[in-house]
Amino acid sequence: MIIFIQSLISGILIGGVYALIGIGLTIIFGVMRIINFAHGDLLMLGMYMTYYLFTLFNIDPFVSIVITIPLMFLYGAFLQKVLINRVLGALPQNQILLTIGLGLIMSNTIMLAFTSDYKILSTSYSSSSFNIAGISISSPLVISFLITACITAALYWFLMKTDTGQAIRATAQDREAAQLMGIDVKRMSIIAFGLGASLAGTAGALISPTYYIFPQVGSAFTLKAFVITVLGGMGSIVGATLGGVLIGVAESIGGVYLGAGWKEVIVFVLFLLVLLFKPAGLMGKSKV
Amino acid sequence: MTKRVMALLLTLCLTLPGFAQAAKVKIGFVNSITGPEAPIGENLSNGVTLALEDLKKKGIDVEMVKEDDTGKPEKSMAAFEKMATRDKVAGIVGPYSSKCANAVAKLAEKYKTPLLIPVASKDEITRQNLKWTFRLSATTYDYATILIDMATSLGKPKTIAIINENTDFGTSGAKSAKAYAARKGITVVAEEAYAPGSPDYRSTLTKIKSKKPDLVFMVSYVADAILLMRQSREIGITPQAFLGAGAGFATAQFAKEKEISNNVFSSTQWTGDVNWPGAKEFDKRYIARFGKEPTYHAATAYESMMIMAETAAKAGGNQEKIRADLKAGKWNGIMGEVSFRDYEGYTNQNKHQMLVEQIQNGKHETVYPPKYVSKKPVYPFPGWK
Repeated sequence: MIIFIQSLISGILIGGVYALIGIGLTIIFGVMRIINFAHGDLLMLGMYMTYYLFTLFNIDPFVSIVITIPLMFLYGAFLQKVLINRVLGALPQNQILLTIGLGLIMSNTIMLAFTSDYKILSTSYSSSSFNIAGISISSPLVISFLITACITAALYWFLMKTDTGQAIRATAQDREAAQLMGIDVKRMSIIAFGLGASLAGTAGALISPTYYIFPQVGSAFTLKAFVITVLGGMGSIVGATLGGVLIGVAESIGGVYLGAGWKEVIVFVLFLLVLLFKPAGLMGKSKV
Repeated sequence: MTKRVMALLLTLCLTLPGFAQAAKVKIGFVNSITGPEAPIGENLSNGVTLALEDLKKKGIDVEMVKEDDTGKPEKSMAAFEKMATRDKVAGIVGPYSSKCANAVAKLAEKYKTPLLIPVASKDEITRQNLKWTFRLSATTYDYATILIDMATSLGKPKTIAIINENTDFGTSGAKSAKAYAARKGITVVAEEAYAPGSPDYRSTLTKIKSKKPDLVFMVSYVADAILLMRQSREIGITPQAFLGAGAGFATAQFAKEKEISNNVFSSTQWTGDVNWPGAKEFDKRYIARFGKEPTYHAATAYESMMIMAETAAKAGGNQEKIRADLKAGKWNGIMGEVSFRDYEGYTNQNKHQMLVEQIQNGKHETVYPPKYVSKKPVYPFPGWK
């Protein structure tokens, strides 16, 4: 029983970070109907930023998100304004090519600049944990889970209550109608991509203390983010949150009961089952 | 007249290699210079750099062709083909990792170019009856046996858990550990092969903790070695001993993480204080030159380059002769006595003496076998701080 609870808890905690990655992707998709294949690479940029802020300026990884979030927002907004806005009306395959290309440029630039060596960020608490009733819980994961929860709540409030948030949701619901109502949809797109990028960057910062960093780290997370978003329903924030936690738990429990090599299989079988019985995803509304 | 004499002398120099002042040989070197295995690859590169200096002193001028395989088998194969066909090297040293070396070994046969593998230890590499592939280092079977031998000499372990990366090196290491544990009457209570690069091994480790193994045997490269030990500490696994099968566990990066690396055992091919001729000097010279301790990878690469270049120079670049000389030769250097023999199903395999080191206060200390000990081993594992 203890094993089950232990793996459930570590699954939920790691799932929190997955959720953050998924939410970023789902916001971008919701507003622009573009699948951002450079999402994992944005996360990788966040990791490198955190690593150098820590090693050069001694800023704690969890504090450094105060710097990472605005920087990644500006970077995301820049990408949207200069590049992605141009292909919004283009064929889907062109959009995919653009984001994949951007991702390749990012990871290879980082590889040129910092080599492909693994970097390991070791803080004093990287391997610390506390014990509750025989279940050990990783302190850095708990902190990152709490930060994730706060960010998700703040984001939800922003989208539900503020004017800009409502304008973003309106754009996501119907781009043309929103435009007719006087919403500057191009500006909303820029904000949405900025938000998505900063969420990916934050996720990168949050897992840096417990993971390792290298230029190609992004591709695994892009795939994961994609699965999470589709599982939860494309464009749904609640869905992405749920999807992230679900994937985290499935990996963790699958790893225990079927073996570490099998956990990916569990994730994808789960994914297929959801698509089979609820093609629009857990929280998705079927369109068409 | 003088011109004629000069010309005659020059011709003599060229035809009699022993007579020449600086014999020139072209040697290929395939290594993981970038990519996930780069921190270990760096050790090999540095070892080879020192070897080239020593060769120069001996009057052997090596023209080295260096290729980076980024840790991918297909890249090492491409590098090998380029060296064998376009650069026309006399012999090749490398590549680092088992998956790369295994892929390249068959190419040596195809292109009839002698290949000396310094440290890739997957058992099967020298078990395929390949005539052109030589290996200096011991095999994964030796990695597992020396660790289990040490544990049984220090305590009475009854159970073992095996965690390994699901690549060539990892699977081969786990298989050997399982076979040898069975022979020693130790029960394997858990066997977990993981895909490298996952952020979370906690669930696997929790499962292992519940089995309460006396020994935990791990086969991993650098980043995962650190991650696995970090999470073992979190989960609170306390066996009699953590046994790391070389690779990631033998690096300075791992030892530096004192909180998690202290008292972990690692099998090794070489240590800086072993009494093989020149080993201590090599250790000192390496530290003075590169500012960090060499791992066994550096020593194997150094010795491999020395052997390959000397043999190639003596054979005047004739590949058939190099192969015969490697097979017949005997050396005694920083890796101890080296000779490539056929035994127990191996071909051209050096029967190398393995050692065990333990990390004590951020430093690797030799603790087994008794003949080579520098510090007393800490056994059983005293628990986490």
